[in-house]
Amino acid sequence: MTALVTTPFGDAAVMIAGGGADVRTRVRTLSRMLERRTPHGVTDLVAGLDSLLVRFDPLRTTAESVIDIVQLFDATTTADDAIEATPGRTFTIPVVFDSGAGPDLEPVAAELDTSVDELVATITETTFDVVLLAAGMAPMMEGGQFVRPVRRAAQPRTNVPPGSIMVAGQNAIIQPFPGPTGWRVVGRTPHTIVDIARTAAAAVLPGDRVRYVAIDRADAQHRDGTFLTPDGVVDEVRS
Amino acid sequence: MSRTVRLDVVDAGWLTTYQDSGRRGTERLGVPTGGSADQHAASVANILVGNDRNAALFEVMGEFSFVPSEDVLVAATGAVRTVLVGDYVVDVWAPVVVPAGVEIRFLPSTEGARSYVAVAGRVHAETFLGSVAPDARMGFAQQVSHGDAVSVTTGFSGFRQPHFDHALFRLPVPMRRQSNDVWSVDLVAGPDAAIPGVREWITASEYRVTERSNAVGVRLDGPVVHPADDTEIVSHGVPVGAVEVPHGDELIVLGRYRTVTAGYPIVGFVTTATQPVLGQVTPGRAVRFRWVDTEYARRSLWELEASLQVLEDSVADVFGAVDLPLHRRCG
Repeated sequence: MTALVTTPFGDAAVMIAGGGADVRTRVRTLSRMLERRTPHGVTDLVAGLDSLLVRFDPLRTTAESVIDIVQLFDATTTADDAIEATPGRTFTIPVVFDSGAGPDLEPVAAELDTSVDELVATITETTFDVVLLAAGMAPMMEGGQFVRPVRRAAQPRTNVPPGSIMVAGQNAIIQPFPGPTGWRVVGRTPHTIVDIARTAAAAVLPGDRVRYVAIDRADAQHRDGTFLTPDGVVDEVRS
Repeated sequence: MSRTVRLDVVDAGWLTTYQDSGRRGTERLGVPTGGSADQHAASVANILVGNDRNAALFEVMGEFSFVPSEDVLVAATGAVRTVLVGDYVVDVWAPVVVPAGVEIRFLPSTEGARSYVAVAGRVHAETFLGSVAPDARMGFAQQVSHGDAVSVTTGFSGFRQPHFDHALFRLPVPMRRQSNDVWSVDLVAGPDAAIPGVREWITASEYRVTERSNAVGVRLDGPVVHPADDTEIVSHGVPVGAVEVPHGDELIVLGRYRTVTAGYPIVGFVTTATQPVLGQVTPGRAVRFRWVDTEYARRSLWELEASLQVLEDSVADVFGAVDLPLHRRCG
């Protein structure tokens, strides 16, 4: 097994990446391990798609110690161990797919040489895996089945409403708060996916699986603003 | 014995927020650490009133003033130039007593961006993920405004001294003020420091802080060298202090409220010890970079840490001698 590439990123962080085809799984496995057993002095973990940034307090540990622990974890853990430890949950997320909720539906369908209905079918037939939480706890997922990677927006949108379902490459993401984005907006869920008044603010976490199901506007209105829950769970803590 | 005191905020300048040393372990959730932009000045302010370094305090841009309902012990650091208790000018970077019903005013200097105002005890402020620091992106504003009544639970119950016009204590305060017009920041090399000529350019050049700078990032106008190949970098985690070269003609130094992932070339990282300097820059400020190695970065951080520990020990001794309470969890 090739060693992971570990590079100090300044005086208070180490970047972990590289090292062969299995790198994604290995880096994610490591990430789960480090979350469960955070080494002394490590303050934060930032996941990229195929990398992990480990931030540490330079008064409490050194880059060398962090790298040693990372290499040790990598050499002694298999993906099965970590995945077993965090099985993840499944979400079925209701989404309105129309030109109002998804202004990029038509252009993306045209880009992929397909129809809007076919594009929606492709999205709703896919099970996405949540890889990481991006800015504002936005769940970012992979596993898209588009005929080819979806291009990012040439002109980023300045203000996308919360709940927007967005795609780029073979990835999807949900916008938790109003804000700008370079992703393509294809639909919108009426559910709240992040509520900072809750102890567990983010509904969806890394390791979870997501499927989208199309609903109409009347159904959406009925669900508007309610907190998203995983399949088989009823929300008991209403804020 | 502790009591709860009310602070009636009279003037909150153009932006006053609750801050602390930021969040831990939240960046894997996409929530940046946040916290005081000048961590050194914030720590000193808290230590000077006997608080934990990471206690909640006010970060002030502009002027700030309040009237306490009971006597309180207060310290102001950072960009503050003058502190007035009623009509008396009192010391900055020092603990001062504010009698009940008397207004304390903090006037900024033009030499810095942010003042820090600590009050002995626990400032009551909402928390999100264990910190009072705002997260504007998520709608957690934490702004302090004119007319707010802020509660502080404190063990301080007054301290008599004959006059306000001399220092209460002589303490070894590690004030960090840049002496020149051009402020200096230390950099360790980043993954893209190998772009031909980039190290020399950065050493030789003077950069100017632009209007678009904030706690997300300090944007610098000056010579920029772009990598020859324009390949897309896969988005990855970026630490506080990363010096990015985006597509335009500027450098961005990421602050504590950055987006935690990015895909721009990184030429260097501002050292932890000198990041507080960037928390005080205002538009137009000239900044120079100095390349250092990680060993030097570590030594300068330990020197700074030692100065804070010396101050903590002195405050503990002095407060103990005159029977003033400490609001620290340990030490």
